[in-house]
Amino acid sequence: MAKRDIPEINAGSMADIAFLLLLFFLVTTTMDKDQAYVRSIPKKIEIPPEDLPDVQKRNILAIKANSQNQLMVRNVVFSDPDMISDFILRFYQTSEIKNKPEENFPLYSTATLGLCDLRMAEMEAKIEEADKVGATDMAKFFSSALNEWDKKKKAIKLYGKSELREIDKQAHIRIEVQEATAYAIFTQIHNEIEEAVIELRNTKCKELFGEPYTLVKQRYNQDSDAKDKDILDLIEILYPARIIEVTPKN
Amino acid sequence: MNTASLPDIVFMLLFFFMVATTSKETDPTVKYSAPEGSRTEDLTPYKQRSEIDFLYLGAPRNPNRASAFKFGYALSLDNVVQATPDGLYSTNAVSRWKRDKFDQKPARMIAPIEAVITCVKADQSAPSGLVFDIRKQLQDIDALTIAYSVKDKGVNKAGQ
Repeated sequence: MAKRDIPEINAGSMADIAFLLLLFFLVTTTMDKDQAYVRSIPKKIEIPPEDLPDVQKRNILAIKANSQNQLMVRNVVFSDPDMISDFILRFYQTSEIKNKPEENFPLYSTATLGLCDLRMAEMEAKIEEADKVGATDMAKFFSSALNEWDKKKKAIKLYGKSELREIDKQAHIRIEVQEATAYAIFTQIHNEIEEAVIELRNTKCKELFGEPYTLVKQRYNQDSDAKDKDILDLIEILYPARIIEVTPKN
Repeated sequence: MNTASLPDIVFMLLFFFMVATTSKETDPTVKYSAPEGSRTEDLTPYKQRSEIDFLYLGAPRNPNRASAFKFGYALSLDNVVQATPDGLYSTNAVSRWKRDKFDQKPARMIAPIEAVITCVKADQSAPSGLVFDIRKQLQDIDALTIAYSVKDKGVNKAGQ
């Protein structure tokens, strides 16, 4: 039998096909990642107004924006929004080393291992008491408090000092916008808060563990390492970001 | 000229793009341009674990219809524009949508509804009141994590 030529497939248009696919992907995909400020919403509970705790003025940092998108921090108009983060830094740092009661900023208290043990024992007793009466809500509340103290104890141990200075429990940043305030202003306020808090956290984390907080957090988000979690907990206890977003009135 | 290896090169490029990029979120049915911000959190890990849902708040595509919406802004949930003349927020659209979304999540997902993020992608001039309406509806069903989407300015990358 005569030897026949194997027919060759013409692959000349292969490149064209591949280019077409490539262009398709170039057009339909985005390189930029989704970026956002992640916040938690408080759980809905009804508290009668007379049971609300009193909050000292010095512990509140109110950032307000009106419908004309003007910003006000502690009743002072801020024409340059970039200055807000500096003010937040002052809010945290004024009493950080030594309490300065004469300044209108939150005071710091000292937590020690002994105090944590004491409070944890107290909470355990309270949980038992609540369980006896069958008050499950109260028991839940106390066990979350117990958790907090346990976290703090771990944090002090990791901190490596006998005590830890922490900002007043009630110190918080309050965002008050109006219904018509532009979303861009609302996110800008979050931006300023984040700038200040992350700067504080990064500096502290670098000083203690040699790497910035954001890096540890990123790693934790990817591989949930327990050691990273402890570091994050400590830094978040040192510089808590307590933000209250006030629902605008109609 | 020998162009036999050209397809290989192009395929290589193609695979690079397929791996390095994420595909666009479904085209929202509203017009929106995100505000800029820095020091943001990257949502990619949450997306990989499908612990996040997106909703869009922007101007309706047809400008003549703007007057039909509260403040002229419409909400898009999975490409369906939601609105009633007096504001969709009376109809609990967001809480129902979020509930459904959560019930449809794969069984391997362990995050409770409190931790599943709802990412609000709002237009930069959208009124914050609408964002708070959404927030309120999420609070009602205990979906307690919200994310305010912004475009990253590009400065201040992680760690620096």
